[in-house]
Amino acid sequence: MSVRRSLAVARHELRLLRRDPAPVVILIAMPLVLMAFNRPAFRAALTEAGYADVNGAEHVVPGTAVMFAFFLVGNVGFAFFREHGWQTWERLRATSTRPVEVMVGKAITPLVVSAVQLFVLFGLGGLLFGLRVRGAILGLVLVGASLGICLVAFGFLLTAVCRTIMQLNAVANIGALVFAGIGGALTPLSTLPGWARAVAPATPSYWAMRGFRSIILDGASVGAVLLPCAILLLFGVGFGLVAARRFRFAETKTSWA
Amino acid sequence: MLEVEDLHKTYGEVVALDGVDLSVAAGDIVGLLGPNGAGKTTLVSIVAGLRRADRGVVRVDGRNVAVAPYETRRRIGLAPQDLGIYPVLSVRDNLLYFGELAELSGRELTGRIEEVADALELTHLLDRPARTLSGGEKRRLHTAMAMLHRPPLLLLDEPTTGVDVATRSRLLEVVRARAADGTAVCYSTHYLPEVESLGASVAILDQGRVAARGALHDLVHAHGQCYVELSFDGEAPDVPGLEGAERSGSGLRLPTADPAGETARVLSALGPVAPRLRTVEILRPSLESVFLAVTGRRYEEEVGTGVGAS
Ligand SMILES: Nc1ncnc2c1ncn2[C@@H]1O[C@H](COP(=O)(O)OP(=O)(O)OP(=O)(O)O)[C@@H](O)[C@H]1O
Ligand SMILES: [Mg+2]
Repeated sequence: MSVRRSLAVARHELRLLRRDPAPVVILIAMPLVLMAFNRPAFRAALTEAGYADVNGAEHVVPGTAVMFAFFLVGNVGFAFFREHGWQTWERLRATSTRPVEVMVGKAITPLVVSAVQLFVLFGLGGLLFGLRVRGAILGLVLVGASLGICLVAFGFLLTAVCRTIMQLNAVANIGALVFAGIGGALTPLSTLPGWARAVAPATPSYWAMRGFRSIILDGASVGAVLLPCAILLLFGVGFGLVAARRFRFAETKTSWA
Repeated sequence: MLEVEDLHKTYGEVVALDGVDLSVAAGDIVGLLGPNGAGKTTLVSIVAGLRRADRGVVRVDGRNVAVAPYETRRRIGLAPQDLGIYPVLSVRDNLLYFGELAELSGRELTGRIEEVADALELTHLLDRPARTLSGGEKRRLHTAMAMLHRPPLLLLDEPTTGVDVATRSRLLEVVRARAADGTAVCYSTHYLPEVESLGASVAILDQGRVAARGALHDLVHAHGQCYVELSFDGEAPDVPGLEGAERSGSGLRLPTADPAGETARVLSALGPVAPRLRTVEILRPSLESVFLAVTGRRYEEEVGTGVGAS
C-alpha cells in the first residue's frame, strides 16, 4: 500500500472538484436557505418538547446539516462512475495502483468536503441563526468526523451494488431523504409517529442527531457522544465490509459518456 | 521482456484467444495484426492485467502477471483502444496524474511531462482542457499518458485511429525511438504500412490464434506471393486458361512469380468477357500478400480500412 499513490488519487479528485465546484457549493448554500425557512417551526416544536430558551436553530442547524451530509453520498459514487464514462477506469486499473489505494484516495476528498460542509453550516448557523452550543464543541467535531466516515463508506457500498449511474442517483437521493426523515433530522424525533421512532436507531442519521443534540441542547460533555460516534463508526465499518465484499474492480459500470 | 504462452480466453461462447504464444524482447517492436475480433485487444488487456486468461501464462520481465500483478503493471504502459482521458482537466493535469500514480514527483515528473509533450507535440496544448482538443490531439494525449513513466513494455492498441498523416509519422518516430532505447513494444494496428515503416516484426492474429509470426522480411520471403487480381461486374466468369485462379464473388486471383507476364496472358485470355472487367491489380510481396497467404483473405476486405496494395 502506497500512501503516495493514495494522495495522488486524492489530489486528482480535488483537481476535478476545482473544475466543477458548483454541486458542492449548492450542497452547502441550499441548507442555509432551508434553515432560514424552517427555524421558526422548530422553535415551537422544541418549546413544546420542554426545552426553554431555544430559537429553533438547535434543531434546524444539525438536522439540515445531517440531511445534506447524506446528499454527499451520491458524489462519492459519481467519482467512480465518471471514470467509467470517461473510460479512464481501465487505465487506472492498468497502473500499479492497488484497489485499496484507489479507495483511500477516493475517500479523502469527500471526507474533506464533508468536514468543510459541516464546519460552514454550523459556523454560519451560529452567525446567522443564533445557534448556541451549550456543551463541548469537541463533541460536535467527533460526531461530524464519524458521520463523514460513515457516509463515505455508504457511498462505497452504493457504488459496489449499483450497475448504472441512474441506479446510484436514485438510491443515494432516496437514501438521504429516508435517513433524514426516519432518523429525526428532517423533523425532531418527538414529532414522529411511534413506529418511526422505533426504527429510527437503525439509521445512522439518528445517531448523528442524537450526538449533535446532546451537545447543543443538553449541554453534554464529550463522554455523551462516545456511544453515537461508536455506532456511526460501526455503521461505517459495516457498510465498508459489505462494499469490500461486493466491489468488483474489473466490472465495467454504465455511466453517462 | 514479454512472454505469452498458450493463452486461452473465452467470453461465454466466443473464443477470443485460442492458444496464443508470443514473445517480445527488449528493444523489439511487434506489429500485432488481425481483422476485427481477432483477439488483439483481449491479448493486450490480459497482458496489462485487466482481464484474466482462462489458461496460459503471461510473464513480463520474467514475472508472472497473474502472480505479481502490481509489480508487472509498473513495467507496462498501456494505451487502450478506447480513448481514456479526463476531459475537464488540462493536458498537463492528465499527464501529471499518471506520472504521480507511477510515483514520479518534483523535477523528475516535470521533466517527463515536458519530454513526452515534446515528443508527441503537445507542448503548446499543455494548459488546454482536454475536452477542447481535436480527435488526433486527444489520441496523442491518450498515448502520452501511457509513455510518461518510460515503461519497459509499451502496449499500444491501435494508437493511430483517427489521426492524420503527420501525427501518424510522428508517433511512429516516437515508437521507434523508444524501441531504440530498449523498450519492448506491442503495437496493434490495421494499417499494414505502419508495421512496415516501424521495421517491426509481425504477429498476425486470426480467430484467436497466431497465424504467422516472424520478422517482416522473413514472412514476406516465405509467404509473399505475387498475385494478379481481377474484378468483374457481377460474378467472376469461368475463363478458359485461368482455371488455377482463386475466386471470391466478383474477383479472380492468380498467384504468380511473373506478374507482368501473367497480367498480359490473363488479359488476352479474357476474350468475350473482357468488357465486364472492372479492375486489374498486381499484389506484390508485402505484408498484405503475407496476410492473404496465411489467412486466405485480403486484409482490406476484412477490416475495410482501404489499405492499398502496391
Ligand atoms: N467483454 C466481452 N464480452 C464478450 N465478448 C467479447 C468481449 N470482449 C471481446 N469480445 C469478443 O472477443 C473477440 C475478440 O475481441 P477483441 O476486442 O480482442 O478483438 P480485436 O482483435 O481487438 O478487434 P478490433 O480490431 O475490432 O479491435 C470478439 O469476437 C469480441 O466480440
Ligand atoms: Mg481491438
